[in-house]
Amino acid sequence: MNMIFRMALSKLRYHKSRTLLTGIAIMLTTMLLMAIGTSGFAMLDMNRQLALAQSNYHAVFRLEEPGQLPVLSKHIQVESLTTIESFAQIINGKMNGSLNYYEPVKDGIYFSNLELTEGHFPEKEDEICSLPSFFERIGAEPVVGGKVTLSFRVNGKGEIQTREFTISGLLIDRDVSTVISDSRIVWGAYVSKALLTSYAEAGLYEADPTAYLRVYGEDMLSYDEIEDKINSTASDIGLDEEQISCNKEYLFTMTTPDTDTFAIIAVISLVVILFSTLVIYSIYYVGVITDVQEIGKLKALGASRRQIGRLLFFQGGIVCVFAIPLGLLIGYLLPYFLFPQVIRALNATALESGQLDHLKGLSNQLHMFSLPFLLITAAAVLITVCVSLLKPIRMAGKVSPAEAIRYQENTTDCKSRKGHHTVKVSTLTWANLSRNRRRTVVTMFTMGLSSVLFICVAAVLNSCRAEDLARRSIQEGEFRISLDYSHHDKEYPENNLDMLVQQDYFNESFLEQLSSIDGVESVKRAPGNILSSTDIESALYEDADNRLSLSYFTREDIPALNEELVSGDIDYDRMTANNEVIYTHAYSFDIYGLALGDVFPLTLHDGDREIPFTVTLTALSQPENYDALVIMTKDSWDNLGLTYDPTTDIYLHVNNAQYDNVKKTLQDIVAKNEHFTLYSLDEEMSIGRAGISLTKYPVYLILVLIAVIGFMNLINTMITSVITRKRELGILQALGLSNRQLVRMLSAEGMFFTVGTLFISATLGHVFGYLFFVYAKKMHFMSLTSYHFPLLETILLVLVLLGGQTAITLYINKKVEKESLIERIRSQE
Amino acid sequence: MNEHSNIILKTENLCKYYGAGDNLVKAVDCVNLAIKQGEFLSIVGKSGSGKSTLLHMLGALDNPTSGSVWLDGENISSFKENRLSQIRRRKIGFIFQSYNLIPSLNVWENIVLPLGLDNKEIDTSFIQDIVKTLGLDNKIKNLPNTLSGGQQQRCAIARAIAAKPSIILADEPTGNLDTKTGDEVMALLKASAKKYGQTLVVITHNEEIAQMADRTVMIADGKVVE
Ligand SMILES: Nc1ncnc2c1ncn2[C@@H]1O[C@H](COP(=O)(O)OP(=O)(O)OP(=O)(O)O)[C@@H](O)[C@H]1O
Ligand SMILES: [Mg+2]
Repeated sequence: MNMIFRMALSKLRYHKSRTLLTGIAIMLTTMLLMAIGTSGFAMLDMNRQLALAQSNYHAVFRLEEPGQLPVLSKHIQVESLTTIESFAQIINGKMNGSLNYYEPVKDGIYFSNLELTEGHFPEKEDEICSLPSFFERIGAEPVVGGKVTLSFRVNGKGEIQTREFTISGLLIDRDVSTVISDSRIVWGAYVSKALLTSYAEAGLYEADPTAYLRVYGEDMLSYDEIEDKINSTASDIGLDEEQISCNKEYLFTMTTPDTDTFAIIAVISLVVILFSTLVIYSIYYVGVITDVQEIGKLKALGASRRQIGRLLFFQGGIVCVFAIPLGLLIGYLLPYFLFPQVIRALNATALESGQLDHLKGLSNQLHMFSLPFLLITAAAVLITVCVSLLKPIRMAGKVSPAEAIRYQENTTDCKSRKGHHTVKVSTLTWANLSRNRRRTVVTMFTMGLSSVLFICVAAVLNSCRAEDLARRSIQEGEFRISLDYSHHDKEYPENNLDMLVQQDYFNESFLEQLSSIDGVESVKRAPGNILSSTDIESALYEDADNRLSLSYFTREDIPALNEELVSGDIDYDRMTANNEVIYTHAYSFDIYGLALGDVFPLTLHDGDREIPFTVTLTALSQPENYDALVIMTKDSWDNLGLTYDPTTDIYLHVNNAQYDNVKKTLQDIVAKNEHFTLYSLDEEMSIGRAGISLTKYPVYLILVLIAVIGFMNLINTMITSVITRKRELGILQALGLSNRQLVRMLSAEGMFFTVGTLFISATLGHVFGYLFFVYAKKMHFMSLTSYHFPLLETILLVLVLLGGQTAITLYINKKVEKESLIERIRSQE
Repeated sequence: MNEHSNIILKTENLCKYYGAGDNLVKAVDCVNLAIKQGEFLSIVGKSGSGKSTLLHMLGALDNPTSGSVWLDGENISSFKENRLSQIRRRKIGFIFQSYNLIPSLNVWENIVLPLGLDNKEIDTSFIQDIVKTLGLDNKIKNLPNTLSGGQQQRCAIARAIAAKPSIILADEPTGNLDTKTGDEVMALLKASAKKYGQTLVVITHNEEIAQMADRTVMIADGKVVE
């Protein structure tokens, strides 16, 4: 035992380069698995933090009676409770604002917008706190201790009161620059309990608190269980179900395991493990093949099959002891330092292209360490190594002593060789490759697999085009002017589509104004939208604020719709005759529990007119280009006889040379109407690019690492092939093989692998790449539309393979040359 | 000048030392040797006396520690690796003590290898002649690991004379052969040397062979003792 262990150690030292290569392969595998998992944990934590960033309450209760609050605060299920009372409406021109009172009844709830940067929350009757920008907006200096005078109406009714307040604190300011219209901002300032009490005592104020609460068991319960708990708490205090709303997004993030992330991590890890098994196996396999003679000698000296097995096993184990911890460490540190950087960089791109800063609530520290995961990774790699060793160990066990003594370094089963009349350098190359046929095949297979994988994924990634993503937003032309509308905003009904159409913003004269801009070639209305509501109970309508928009398709759209057809069938005339409609989103179709044949008695809201219209769902198709979830035929649409123009989007084709000028003019036009939003192709493209790079670079990084592991295999094969042939190469040189010829011979051997690998990746890689693309397109991954041959990636692969292989050849050759010719000839191995 | 042109291979204070200090081994120590064109020289000496080392340096396979080797009036110690491999291909046929065949090539390919490396035409009838004489004619497609030691030795000899080099250097060419075959092999070497005017340098422990030579040089502790 001890002897075997020592022998394993000395063998590892003797085959230094092989030990190093196995070590690197194992290390990289561990690192890759660890890094992928750690990034996954970071991602989960980021989502959690982002969910936490706004606020951590579970539900809002709009209390109806004064008695409900004390009961609620003592309720056994309530973990924390905060109330916000809307005290008065601020009167200041068109400004939207209110004076509120905020009270943490039971600690544990926070609001990101209620954090003080300075001072304290109001305590005295005349104290007030708010955002610095609020005070600026009403013309006061935002300093603690400063004075402001405000007019307001208590409970939003009655006489206007005017009072002077002292600023007691300042809240974290929010970025309002991205909000277009002043009337969209709802300002909030906070006053003291004392003020409320004094008005209440005077009979002028009636408290109407809203309770924000958390229930016990966020860590243990599922979404539904928490929802049930909230509902039962509400019914315990006699609150109507209408008056509660859950913080759905927050609860969803906190309670539902992110199965998507887990699934992706599991799939990638599996690929990595399979692949590494193959590579490590192939390194050991090649090792055993080249060690046959030595193994045979050991057997001749009396080593048992088990001892030989153990010898190999120890060799693997000793390497693991060093490689795995190192891999774990690097695999953890890499995402630890890189992940925040990458996320921030991507966020910066998103910000530049005008998207909101969605990482605002992200603290610097992401929690991404998990001991169980670390142990699982280590175990997975150990198992990988063991599995890779199984076959080589069995092979080594089968080596017979007699075989070993005759054995000339490498294996061939044949006794003779047809050969050639004359011998050229190429003959030597071929002779060597065919002598090691098994080794050649194993190496080629691993190399081929890694490059097929690379080309395959590259084909899909290369087909992700920013243009395709941008076209989701701007279906044609270069600009889109879109009408921002709400479905069913009760507080600001003027923003609802049925009200907006009555304004006729997209009238002929507006379109003419657009056409007359220098550089605009054409202006086109996109198919319009109309709001619908229904009296039947449907999750679909509940989620859409009880108003869902409908649109239409034409006969020309049918081929595209059929291509993406999931179920049902599309027959234009029959659909027109029976008011049948297509649902355009497969995912939500299932979520809402819809089924083909479902009938919806609808009311369509054509401005102030209501049109009753009953539809039947008869097809589910998922093309990219519909905003509306439900579409009817153009003929059905025309038959509605709409009074108002339902256009919500306008496309503009412009002359490229005048793009910038047109954009500027359009920006000015759009700025004049708060309901308009301008989408321009260049911005959409850069958003698209940012989105793609978010997927592209991490995936490429993983691919490159996989390729590196695969490359270990080539390096191993080449080094083994040269080192074990050191003597043979020496003899060749003694017989007059020049250095140049030697390099040519070695490169030709390497080239065989390279060209073989390239051949495999060029054929299989692109075939699989295309199939993979078709699949990804079906799954609607990144708006894939058309297949783009990954030419650049292929060229890159060629260059890297050729370069790498040449570098290895030269390096090996240099190393060999260090020994004098005669030393090589006399060497035993 | 005339006398000089007669000398094909010459050493000047040729030394090869291994190790340093207490471990210093003077494998070849200050050897001055001149070999004439067409001469048959035998080298004898005890095991470990430095015969192989000397022969390697004569064959441009090893670099001397000091001193020089002159081939055809040129100092090959100063040649670049490229010239050296050319010399090995064209001028020298080397027969190793331990055969040193290329395992991936069959017997025929091993024999024609030096010609192939020099992109030379193969004189098929000549090679076939050699193969027949050496008794390898039914083994030409065999791989070396299926040959006996003696067969491998004969293959190595065929390889050395195939390119018709001007000098044949042989390190115990008959060490693994029975007396009869050994004699035949030596006869072949001599005949070939005579026919093509080749110079023959043979290391041997065999008294008989040493007797056949034009001249015998005795090596002891790296030095020539006449
Ligand atoms: N690489 C080396 N390092 C150290 N010493 C060496 C080396 N090669 C040879 N020697 C020593 O040089 C001496 C001469 O060796 P060489 O092989 O020339 O002997 P030889 O006369 O050919 O013997 P044999 O008749 O047994 O073949 C020996 O003592 C040997 O140990
Ligand atoms: Mg010797």
